Amino acid sequence: MQWWQQLVSADFMPHGFCYMWNPHVLWLNVISDALIAFSYYCIPLILVYFIRKHRDLPFNRIFWMFGTFILACGTTHIMEVWNIWHANYISAGLIKAVTAVVSVITTAMLIPLVPQVISLPERAHLQEVNRKLQEEIAENKRQESIETPLRRRITFGFIAAILLIILMVLSYWQSSRQASEDADWVAHTYAVMDAIERVSKHIIEMETSARAFSLSGENILLPHYEAARKAAIGDVEELRHLVLDNPIQEQRVGELERQLRSLQQFASTGITRRRDRRTIPQPEEIHESEHLMEAVRAITLTMRAHELQLLETRQQKTAAAQRLTRIIIVLGIFIGAGLLALAQVAVNRSIGASERTRAQINQLNAELEQRVEQRTASLKESLTDREKGLKEIADQKFALDQHAIVAFTDVQGTITYVNDKFCAISKYSRDELLGQNHRILNSGYHPKEFFKEMYHTIANGKVWHGEIKNHAKDGTFYWVDTTIVPTLNAAGKPERYVAIRADITERKLGEEALREAGQLLLETQRLAHIGSWAFNLTDADRRLTYSDEMYQITSLSPDTPLSLESTLVAVHPEDRQTVQHWLDANILGTDQTGSNQLGSNQGELDVRLMRPDGSVRYVSMRCQVHYDAAHRPIRVSGSTQDITERKLAEEQIKQLNDDLEIRVIERTAQLEAVNKELEAFSYSVSHDLRAPLRHIAGFSAMLVEEYGATLDTGAKHLIERVQAGTQKMGLLVDELLNLARVGRHAVNRRPTDLNTIVAEVIAMLAPETEGRAVEWKIAELPQAECDGVLVRQVFQNFLTNALKFTRSRTPAVIEVATREDEDEGQTVFMIRDNGIGFNMKYVGKLFGVFQRLHSTDQFEGTGIGLATVQRVVQKHGGRVWAEGEVDKGATFYFTLGAGKHAALKANGTSAGGQL
Amino acid sequence: MNTELDILLVEDNQDDMDLALHALKRGKLANRIFVVRDGEEALDFLFCRGAYSDRSPERPPKLVLLDLKLPKVDGIEVLRQVKSHAPTKTIPVVIMTSSKEERDLVASYNLGVNSYIQKPVDFAQFRETVQTVGLYWLVVNLPPVAEENHHAAEHANAKH
Repeated sequence: MQWWQQLVSADFMPHGFCYMWNPHVLWLNVISDALIAFSYYCIPLILVYFIRKHRDLPFNRIFWMFGTFILACGTTHIMEVWNIWHANYISAGLIKAVTAVVSVITTAMLIPLVPQVISLPERAHLQEVNRKLQEEIAENKRQESIETPLRRRITFGFIAAILLIILMVLSYWQSSRQASEDADWVAHTYAVMDAIERVSKHIIEMETSARAFSLSGENILLPHYEAARKAAIGDVEELRHLVLDNPIQEQRVGELERQLRSLQQFASTGITRRRDRRTIPQPEEIHESEHLMEAVRAITLTMRAHELQLLETRQQKTAAAQRLTRIIIVLGIFIGAGLLALAQVAVNRSIGASERTRAQINQLNAELEQRVEQRTASLKESLTDREKGLKEIADQKFALDQHAIVAFTDVQGTITYVNDKFCAISKYSRDELLGQNHRILNSGYHPKEFFKEMYHTIANGKVWHGEIKNHAKDGTFYWVDTTIVPTLNAAGKPERYVAIRADITERKLGEEALREAGQLLLETQRLAHIGSWAFNLTDADRRLTYSDEMYQITSLSPDTPLSLESTLVAVHPEDRQTVQHWLDANILGTDQTGSNQLGSNQGELDVRLMRPDGSVRYVSMRCQVHYDAAHRPIRVSGSTQDITERKLAEEQIKQLNDDLEIRVIERTAQLEAVNKELEAFSYSVSHDLRAPLRHIAGFSAMLVEEYGATLDTGAKHLIERVQAGTQKMGLLVDELLNLARVGRHAVNRRPTDLNTIVAEVIAMLAPETEGRAVEWKIAELPQAECDGVLVRQVFQNFLTNALKFTRSRTPAVIEVATREDEDEGQTVFMIRDNGIGFNMKYVGKLFGVFQRLHSTDQFEGTGIGLATVQRVVQKHGGRVWAEGEVDKGATFYFTLGAGKHAALKANGTSAGGQL
Repeated sequence: MNTELDILLVEDNQDDMDLALHALKRGKLANRIFVVRDGEEALDFLFCRGAYSDRSPERPPKLVLLDLKLPKVDGIEVLRQVKSHAPTKTIPVVIMTSSKEERDLVASYNLGVNSYIQKPVDFAQFRETVQTVGLYWLVVNLPPVAEENHHAAEHANAKH
């Protein structure tokens, strides 16, 4: 410290004296030095920045040395400024010494580098073209990247300069305020010292006057004393007032006042004594007074010294503050100017750089043109490659969109992108999907855990893969094979999910169908008692497999090891040989010879199985041999059906059939016997019943002929009644016989022209129509497959009836027509008349034997005709029915053959019967 | 009994016989009628055997009226025998019966009956029928000459 004190406070003259404090010379030097220093301080900063930016720069160390050297130089210039006011020449010298050392070292280091530095531009030149090219390519980008930070730096510099100016102003203001305060303090100190001076002066005057009076007794002295005393008191009071801010001084003032009071009292005592007693003070009293005066002097001296010390301290502080202000101002100017300069440099550099670049561009344009042309091919190629790359990506996207269902979702599961296929399969429009949660597609098929697991996987940044059943807008379901890939942000957290799906609905449906089919097969096998089995010939262990039902059928336990031999135990002992042969022929034989002995690839066998409980089951076995391309047998598949029920039923049927056969024979014999009897009966009726009638008729006629003359009218009438009765009886017998004959008559079907038959019948009925107006409406009738003899009777009966019951009509209209019955698929014949008709409630009686709706008096008839018609129609398998209304005519319908329905219903039941 | 004979009436029933004869008489055909009462008698008569063995086969009846229902041998059998033997083959046989059973008709015609008539219940009709038949076979129809018996009979059949 001592040394430093020495250096800074050595008694040199400040350098300003050399300039004779001429402000022009002084400030020229100050500003110049400050600017040099500022520049020198800036250069190392730029160098540091430069080195840091170019880590690969050669001669790194020499740049550091340059920096240090320039910094040191800057510092010397600062010292120059400092020394204008403070003569710190030793410090300045030391700094210069440091600078010199650094300079020398730098120079020493620089010399060996000269050859390298010289070689540097050559290498740089070699790299130039390439670099320029790169620069050209990167121009726009670089321009941006350079300008932005530069502009920012310039702005920053200006702000710093403004801040600096503000700092300077504040500092100056503070400094001047301080200076003003200090001046006040100095004045105050001087005022205090002045007051002390005056106090001590007046006290001395007071004491001197008092002493003088007490010695001399001169009254003239008393006003002096009084004036001094009053002045002293006033001074003390003033002094007390001045030092109110300083407790030490105040205390001293108190002391001084006390001393003054003592002195005053002493003086006053002395005066009083002199005046009153005319005595002079004793020497001890004088000594006492001197002593008091000494104390007063001591106090005032102490106070003055104190004030002086205070004054010095304040003056020093003021000077320091002023110095600091000056430094701040100077430094502020330097730094502000430096910043401005730096900004200017930066702007210039920016402008220069862009101008240079532009010039370089212009200069290089030609070169570039060439190179561009030269490289057009390769550029084109690379461009094409890039385009190709882009196209490839586009193609891949297109292909992906064609194949896959793509969607993006954010981490909340909200859909942010969907492709067309997604819309197509979900049946939602894109607008409906975007912004929605994926849950709208949830089909409810999967349990919650399924999705929990999925979200857990992808939330952890892992790829999830699975098959999902989704629910489309229209309510249908679809299956998608889904891969969800989380896209991770820098923190490794998923920021979105890319889901790629493939429609596997068909496959899933197929699987389901397959499963159902499998289920159905099992079910079918169970219900039909059909088991299936397969025997693999290519397997080394020649494995035999059974379907579930096979175990049911064979009663083998499912853990039985399956082989052709082991399963034989299920076969009835009596049939084992047969099965063994069958297997040999169909399977084992196949294996050895390449073709089975049956010469076909299929085989069938019915055998019995025996269950462990001894019950016997019948099964039907079938097998099929499968061959490979080279016609080598590879597999035998087969089925085994439990046909026990069928077998038993078949046996039962056979038994029943046998019984039935016997019964049929018996019944046939009985029927034949009855038929014979009936035939004999009707034969004899035919002969024997008619004969007596003929006799009655004959003889009664003879009676009238022979004896008519002798008989009166009444007798003759009676005989006529007898004859009418015989006539009727004859008719009855004839028709009954006819009916019986029809019943026995075997239908002899052949193509028959019904038109001819109808025409003949009408011709035959001609006598009946004599004298009547009869209108026949005969439609064209189709040819029918029937027995003409019998069908003639049908038409004969119907038309006879029609004529009979239209007797009262003029004209009588009788119609014969047909219509097609679509339901039954057959022709319906129809005979309609406009006769008296009938009441439909008696329609059931129409076709009964001897059933009549009219008395014989009204309409003759036997009641057998329509019964005969019905018999004939029934014998043809047809139907006959009628419609009518009283007085509105009647319509009769018939068919000649079973219709579709009737054929089904009446299958097996014989139409018609035996009389 | 080698008298000239026109009609052989085969009839077992008295009433029928009377009625038939009555009808024939009315038609002036009853002069040369011979009546037999059953099939056997008819055959004996026609083949000149038994009770009628003295009859000459050269003088057969010009017409046989044959009932079908006959005692002993029925009409069909009589017909068969008549039509299956050369001497009697050419004799016209007309069946007159109550029934018109199909099988009788078929059998009769198969055996070569010359006519088949169902006797009507009505007596007037019956009489007319009988008279018509008699007149036809006895007056209208031409029998073959005796020498060419066989051929003439066939011819007559075909013509009918």
